[in-house]
Amino acid sequence: MAGGSVTECKEYLFKVLVIGELGVGKTSIIKRYVHQLFSQHYRATIGVDFALKVINWDSKTLVRLQLWDIAGQERFGNMTRVYYKEAVGAFVVFDVTRGSTFEAVAKWKHDLDSKVKLANGSPIPSVLLANKCDQKKDSSNNASLMDNFCKETGFLGWFETSAKENINVDEAARSLVEHILQNDKGLPYEESNGDRVRLEQDPATAESKSGCC
Amino acid sequence: MASDNLPSEFDVVILGTGLTESIIASACSRVGQKVLHIDRRNYYSSKWAGFNFNSLLSWIEEYKSQQGSQSTEDEAEWRKTLEDGEEVLPLSADDSFITNLEVSCYASLEAEEEVKENEEATETLSPAAPSPTEPEEETKGKGEGESSPDVTQETTTSGETQHTQEDGGCGVQEEGASQDAGQSEEIEQKEQQEDTTAGPPSSAKEVKKKKITYADLVKEGRRFNIDLVSKLIYSRGSLVDLLIQSKVSRYTEFKIVTRILTYRQGRVEQVPCSRADVFASKQLTMVEKRMLMKFLTFCLDFEQHPEEYQEVSDQPFWEFLQTKKLTENLQHFVLHSIAMVTKETCTEDGLKATQHFLRCLGRYGNTPFLFPLYGLGEIPQCFCRMSAVFGGIYCLRHSVQCLVVDKETNGCKAVIDTQGQRISCSHFVVEDSFVRQRWKNTEEGHISRAVLITDRSVLPADSDQQISLLTAPPLEPGGPAVHVVELCSSSMTCMPGTFLVHLTCSSKGTAREDLESLIAQMFYVPPSPGEELAEGDERSGRPTVMWAMYFNMLDISRMDGSNGFDLPSNVHVCTGPDVNLGCDYSVKLAEKIFRQLLPEEEFCPPAPDPEDIIYEGVAPQGEGSGFEENPKTEGSPLQSEADGLENHPESEKEAAEVEAPIQETPKEALKEDASPSEE
Repeated sequence: MAGGSVTECKEYLFKVLVIGELGVGKTSIIKRYVHQLFSQHYRATIGVDFALKVINWDSKTLVRLQLWDIAGQERFGNMTRVYYKEAVGAFVVFDVTRGSTFEAVAKWKHDLDSKVKLANGSPIPSVLLANKCDQKKDSSNNASLMDNFCKETGFLGWFETSAKENINVDEAARSLVEHILQNDKGLPYEESNGDRVRLEQDPATAESKSGCC
Repeated sequence: MASDNLPSEFDVVILGTGLTESIIASACSRVGQKVLHIDRRNYYSSKWAGFNFNSLLSWIEEYKSQQGSQSTEDEAEWRKTLEDGEEVLPLSADDSFITNLEVSCYASLEAEEEVKENEEATETLSPAAPSPTEPEEETKGKGEGESSPDVTQETTTSGETQHTQEDGGCGVQEEGASQDAGQSEEIEQKEQQEDTTAGPPSSAKEVKKKKITYADLVKEGRRFNIDLVSKLIYSRGSLVDLLIQSKVSRYTEFKIVTRILTYRQGRVEQVPCSRADVFASKQLTMVEKRMLMKFLTFCLDFEQHPEEYQEVSDQPFWEFLQTKKLTENLQHFVLHSIAMVTKETCTEDGLKATQHFLRCLGRYGNTPFLFPLYGLGEIPQCFCRMSAVFGGIYCLRHSVQCLVVDKETNGCKAVIDTQGQRISCSHFVVEDSFVRQRWKNTEEGHISRAVLITDRSVLPADSDQQISLLTAPPLEPGGPAVHVVELCSSSMTCMPGTFLVHLTCSSKGTAREDLESLIAQMFYVPPSPGEELAEGDERSGRPTVMWAMYFNMLDISRMDGSNGFDLPSNVHVCTGPDVNLGCDYSVKLAEKIFRQLLPEEEFCPPAPDPEDIIYEGVAPQGEGSGFEENPKTEGSPLQSEADGLENHPESEKEAAEVEAPIQETPKEALKEDASPSEE
């Protein structure tokens, strides 16, 4: 782990996946969270691998969050193992204005759990995002239904979010990171990771060495 | 998970997701070509695929029941799309490249009482039952597998394998299966040396090593990544250069191959290859050390000393070595383990091979080789990810049934996919097994492969986390030399307490015929599952084989790209993988095909770093205040090529409603560096 300045600062690198159907706003959420941007003019997710958010979690903890978008074109659900491997958390996103995207959530969650697991074999923590809540037409409250759904499908919880209005995006991220940190503390470091080799010519990029991917 | 229709126009359609095809896909997408990349199978990497243990078992079942899955029902539909002057060229429906597949299980099939306790201990930590990666396929494969008689050389033990696979779970719960209990206590003691295994918590918790049963292999199946192709990566080879240059390297990590071993007179020995190794070697005398260093130093820049070898450069390297005053020991090391050539190889090629080996030393470690974490099957997927990031469209379980060829120009204008959809393209790139019937001649070779799961290393050392390459010289003259790669659990290819051993050689006969006798010499193969060696047996130090798989893989790498095929000129065939240890053949072929496709374009230029990408649209007003969008523009030209697949639904709907959402961002932007930003 790269040392902090004066106090002993622990630095973490977490890979977090953002998955869900086409057009539910995955990229918007990432951009809102990482770049504080929202635009209608986002194009397909081209040339973008992941976005990095640096969080000063507390005085002793620095978290680098790598948010991996599914490349827009892996849209038939055939994700490569490269995408899933060594992820420690996930957001599954659906669009509250399109019921079909919610129906796909269970499929995405199932796919996620079958493709990646924590070192101890349990599923990676995941949070469900009901995005575009600013456009929700009926204000019916089915919170308890959602709570139940999360319980059954194994989500930590759910948030109504809006990337556009910046609602709950930070809160959802915080809740996920909290769980990831808890998991991390519960697990011994794999010493064997130390002798993994990254192919880099440029030593400047070696900073990401401390993490999992 | 949507399954909408594919677009019907692409620049390049690529069938097969092996290494060569994937590099081409990534190279084409990277320079803005519209790429459709598909694979008939339900997994990535084609011949280069790696499977966890459970998926491998399903794959084997599926292989056994494999039938051509060509659909011709809707032929009338797509036939209508044909125009005058077009003809149809069908692809092979049968793309199988594996023959003589045999599986044998030697691990104990019995459940033991200790195992049960152990199970409960680990259960608390890993509540998830072992589930196959692709559960849907698993069930399907199983059902078909049982009723299929067309299995090649099925051994009796593999029949049992099938059964245990199905009731593997129940086996563990059998209460009465305790007759082995007494026996296994002995084994525990024998195997204590392995307790040092550094591994995930589930195994670290077990203080005493338990005998690993077949049920354990299944239960811990996800910890295995078993590659169909076994290769290592030369640290100064073309694949490493390409990974770095294209920045595809960001998707993967490697382990250093820690040891080069040789097998000689029934013994496994470590080969000293670096300077440090040579001097630290206990097997070599002082004189030998000096001779070896002198010879290796000469090889490093042998071109500078033509007088030393010029006259004999076409003579066998083996004879040349004998003239260099090297002891027999050293000749053996150099020929088999450093140059890794045969006795017939000519001096010049032998020197080149030795030089290549020596030049690769020290770049990342003390041997010339790297191995990808999670197995070689990762590498094609890394290129696929890069291609997808740059707009490549991916679809598995999708194939091409035929090509539409313009009679006049003899060019391929379009393909008809397995759904009967006509997809036009300027180029079609295809894995060799789909065009087998178009070979001009029938010169085909095969690779013999064996994969073993064993309980200890062929050469135990202080640390059991070793990755070793062993080259076994031919057992009899004229036979093939065998590359043996032994992987430990920290390479993320096998469960703690086991080793995964890959054996590879060019085929003389079936894989079993070619490799069985070497395996019988180096390992202990129990005559029946779980059978222990009698005390004092001469084989007692050897690793015990718990599970074995043999198969032959088609190798038509000699056909070298498209030249050997009777096909339109814009159809490009990806042959290989070849039998050599490195990946250079496949990388070079990819570059060659790319140059034919797009002679003007750069091959795999560096992808921009994620942090360097400027998002199209408006920058926040607070840009200057600590929130930095990197000013580099590397990434932006690509943005303009986006075609809006991902976010259009959203943007179209909202475009009218929202005017200036960015206005509110400066505050947020300022927060970026404030600490803590998350309170």
